[in-house]
Amino acid sequence: MLQPEPFAGEEADEPGPSVESKNQAERITARRLRIAARNETKTRQELGEDSQGKEDIQEETRKSQKEVEKSKRHMVKLQSDGLELVTNIQVAVDARESDRRTELEEACRLRRDKLENEAKSSQEKFEEITRKWTDAKMKQTPLDLRDAMNSQQQLCEQILGDKNKLISELQQELKASDDHYVKDLKRQAKDIDLLIERMEEQISSLKKSYREDLQQIENSFDEERRTLLTKHRKKWGHQMKEQSEKELRNMMQGLSLLEEHEDLLQKLRVWKAEEYNTDKIRMDTEVQNLRKKLQEVKFNCHLNEEKLDYKYEVLKKREEENAILKSHLKRKIIRMQDVLNNLKSKCASQEKQLKTEEQSLRNDYTRIKQQYIDMQKKARHFAALDAERFEKLWLINEDEVKALAHRVLETDRIIHEQQLGLAWVSPPLPFMERSGPIEHKTLRTASQAAADTLQEETRGDLVEESEGLGDTASGVNRRTVKRILELLCDELGFLVESKLLKLVSHLEKNDQSLIKLDAIFSAIGIESEKDVYTMAEFLMNYRQHEETTNNSDFIHHNDLLVALKEFTAQYCRPHGVQASQKSSVLGLIMRDDSEDAAHWESIANVIPESKLRLWSALDTAINKYHTVLTERAELLVETQNVQQQNTELRQLLHLYTTSKVTV
Amino acid sequence: MCFHANSLFKTYNMLKKSLFNGKINFSCMSRSQSSRRTGSMRPVNAAADGRKMRSIIAEDSEWSLELVPLLTTLCLQHIIKHFREKPILDELTPKYKAYVLQRLPTSLPLTITANLISDESYWKRCCEGRWAVSDVSTYDNSWKRMFFERHLENIIEFFIPDATDTKTVLDVVPLCRNYVKRLKVSQLLPPIRESPRFDEDDRSDCASDTGSEGPSMDHFDFRILLDKLPNLEELNVVYGVKGCGMNFEWNLFEFTFRDCEFLAKALHSCKTLQVFRIHRSKVDDEKCCLLVSQLLDHPSLQELDFSHNHISDRGARAIGKLLNRSQLKRLVVCNNQIRGPGAQALAHALSKNITLLSLNLRLNRIGDEGGQALAQALVKNKTLVNLHLGGNNMTEPTAVALSQALVENCTLKNLNLSNNKLGVDGGKVLEEGMSHNSSLVECDIRLTDVSQDSEYCITQALRTNQSQAARKNQTQT
Repeated sequence: MLQPEPFAGEEADEPGPSVESKNQAERITARRLRIAARNETKTRQELGEDSQGKEDIQEETRKSQKEVEKSKRHMVKLQSDGLELVTNIQVAVDARESDRRTELEEACRLRRDKLENEAKSSQEKFEEITRKWTDAKMKQTPLDLRDAMNSQQQLCEQILGDKNKLISELQQELKASDDHYVKDLKRQAKDIDLLIERMEEQISSLKKSYREDLQQIENSFDEERRTLLTKHRKKWGHQMKEQSEKELRNMMQGLSLLEEHEDLLQKLRVWKAEEYNTDKIRMDTEVQNLRKKLQEVKFNCHLNEEKLDYKYEVLKKREEENAILKSHLKRKIIRMQDVLNNLKSKCASQEKQLKTEEQSLRNDYTRIKQQYIDMQKKARHFAALDAERFEKLWLINEDEVKALAHRVLETDRIIHEQQLGLAWVSPPLPFMERSGPIEHKTLRTASQAAADTLQEETRGDLVEESEGLGDTASGVNRRTVKRILELLCDELGFLVESKLLKLVSHLEKNDQSLIKLDAIFSAIGIESEKDVYTMAEFLMNYRQHEETTNNSDFIHHNDLLVALKEFTAQYCRPHGVQASQKSSVLGLIMRDDSEDAAHWESIANVIPESKLRLWSALDTAINKYHTVLTERAELLVETQNVQQQNTELRQLLHLYTTSKVTV
Repeated sequence: MCFHANSLFKTYNMLKKSLFNGKINFSCMSRSQSSRRTGSMRPVNAAADGRKMRSIIAEDSEWSLELVPLLTTLCLQHIIKHFREKPILDELTPKYKAYVLQRLPTSLPLTITANLISDESYWKRCCEGRWAVSDVSTYDNSWKRMFFERHLENIIEFFIPDATDTKTVLDVVPLCRNYVKRLKVSQLLPPIRESPRFDEDDRSDCASDTGSEGPSMDHFDFRILLDKLPNLEELNVVYGVKGCGMNFEWNLFEFTFRDCEFLAKALHSCKTLQVFRIHRSKVDDEKCCLLVSQLLDHPSLQELDFSHNHISDRGARAIGKLLNRSQLKRLVVCNNQIRGPGAQALAHALSKNITLLSLNLRLNRIGDEGGQALAQALVKNKTLVNLHLGGNNMTEPTAVALSQALVENCTLKNLNLSNNKLGVDGGKVLEEGMSHNSSLVECDIRLTDVSQDSEYCITQALRTNQSQAARKNQTQT
């Protein structure tokens, strides 16, 4: 019921807020409606403008607009006035209500005061009564007591009377307020009636004024339109006239122009006809010539045609051949492609196979290498063993020989002393004191020395100690030698063959440098360990020469090449590398048996040639003596035998002589 | 004869038309035609030879083709007749659908029609058949919405607790839940106590005494309803009885604490609610606090209306707290008992608020104390557009404070100070304040004892402001 109906009023209606509502909603809706109405008129005005706007001139629209504005203002004023008129009632009612509330509050306050006062007075009276009770208790005589009782009763009645009075007053107030309420209700009903009446009045008046305004606006628009129409019509007629005149003038001009052109055309025609005749004759001759030419051309054409036909045939044949050839080639290509594919696959498989083979070979290589190393080890072992055995054998033989020599010497002495009766002098016998195989101080090769130095680190302290003696001898510290060698290895890589480098590349670093060094040494011409040390020494000296300029403790690698060059110039030797020493790379020490024969010879020749000759003469003499002796011995035996025979025969004769007598 | 020929010609035209419209029409028509005509005339193939038709002269002068219903119409009528058992609507072509909708009886049960029929004309018929006055413009021009909203309102308004089954409400909910956006409950019936009709005269006095103590004075429980309406945006409630006449009893207008609790919980559960109004329901401070506590941080509430209740300072303080914990745009607490402290609390909230557009404190007793506080809040506030302080016992000091606020504030457009005893001096001060203001468009100072001169000056200032605002509007559009 509080909800107003915003669209109920439309543009001409005064907003009809519901009768019962007395709050702001009504006002809000009224305002809203007013705005809506304003918008409505505005749109209508715009529409009107649009309908006429095409023909209107600005000045005249301004007039109608003015009218619209005026009516708008008028309506707004009317509406606000009406709204105020209507809401005045509400405001008045509100005012009355607020007055009533203040009155009510006031009355309430008064009532409360009154009640409080009453309560206070009655309390006082009550206290008096209670006080008097204690007095009454003190009273002795019944008369006094009666008096006291009476007075008490009177007091009580007084209190009761007061209270009753108050109650009746309050009841009267209640009644009055009831009456007031009824009156208020009636007045409110009246107010509402008034409100409705005013609203209806407002609506009707608004309607009327709207209608009037509309009429006025329409009239103004009509008028405007009419004036506009006549104006435009006049303008139109004027322009039509102008147009027709202009057209007529144009037509006349056109006609004259036409005649002129016709004349010109006639002239042109005559002139052209003449020109045409001359041209025609010329053309005829030309045509004849051209015909002749055409014949020729046709003949040529025919000839060419035949030629071309023939050529075409030839080309066709060729093309066929080409096609056949092409197909052949294509087939061939395909076949080749197949072959190629096969070969490719084969190649791939072979590659794979080779790879595996290579792998296996590599494995084999490592294995064989291992075996080789083992073999080396074994060989070294066996060599040691052989050497030992050799030494033993040597000792046995030597002992034997020595014993034989001794015997010979003894025999010689006996011969000399007993047979010849000469004094015997023993020959010098140096080998008798010696025993064991002849030791040669072999020269170690340069590469071996290098290997030693390079492996020094790995071998540890023991080796170093043992080599300590060597250091003093060489005069150069092994460390520096080693560093020099490393430097050489790094700097003189160009001396090494690239193939070697490639081969060496997968070896260990130490081995690599060793092999490189070997190559370098052979290139420079260094062979023995001694050479190495001399080189080292030279380099050190060189360094000391340069020390003034170069403060480093070691030869600078830039100077190395120069130094080496000098060194090679000084110490260069013709190459005479013994092949036998190559094997020494394996680490096997080959004994030098060159002096062994002499040794043994010297032992064998312990008896000199003169003595031998003596011995042979002696031998022959003795042999002769011996033969004589043997002959004597034989003769002795023979004489013995003959003597024996003689005896026997004597016996026999005796016997025989004896026996013949008997017989 | 001439007439016959004429009518025949008409039928011929009709036939032709129907032929063009559809074949079924023709076949059914020709069949009916032939069945009717066999006795009186030779059968004619109208479609094949239309020209011969002209020579046909009907012998039955009464007969006319228009009397014969089409087969389609018969079918449609059948559908309409049995719509209750077998609702067929969406399968029909638009033309027949319109036909059926036009003729469906409005007495069909809602369970069939509610979610099936969306046609407005049907619901218009329903509404007009049920209620004498119906203004569809307040329902977004949707007759269906109007029907369901008013239907649900009716059910709630005549719901008697304990006597009516809650099923009557819950049954309607699935039918109307998609269409109800606003509920305007203009009355809520109390439960019927034992034999209130008998010896009314004797018990009328004691009824008011016992009624307040009786356990079952609670009204309809909104909790069962509000969370089931997903589109509800507006709720108007009056805990009271409409048109009780001479059967007036005080306990008919009782808003119990339990009612309040239920309502508050229901409001809390309804997250789409934008407008909540509770009028003439004796909402006192305690109930107001309870309602507000459930509305704190409500996601969508924009308008709150506590008009014609008994809210005083404590309730006002609670509302002030709500102001800054919600998106309230309109707050109406007219005709309550808010005094100075309550208004001060509201003013304090207002000074920090950035959402409120309209505040109505009509017919309270905020006095100068509250008026000055509100004026000071207006200096800080930058959003308030409408302020109604009519009938609030304010006097000159408030006018002084307000005039200062008017100089500083540039958002306020409407100010109502009617029925306050501002006095002549107050009017002068206000006049001076108005001369420095350029935003205020309306200022109601009726019945404020302001002198004629200052009133005139103020209205002049308002006029200039109005014309400026109108110009600004025009340039914007």
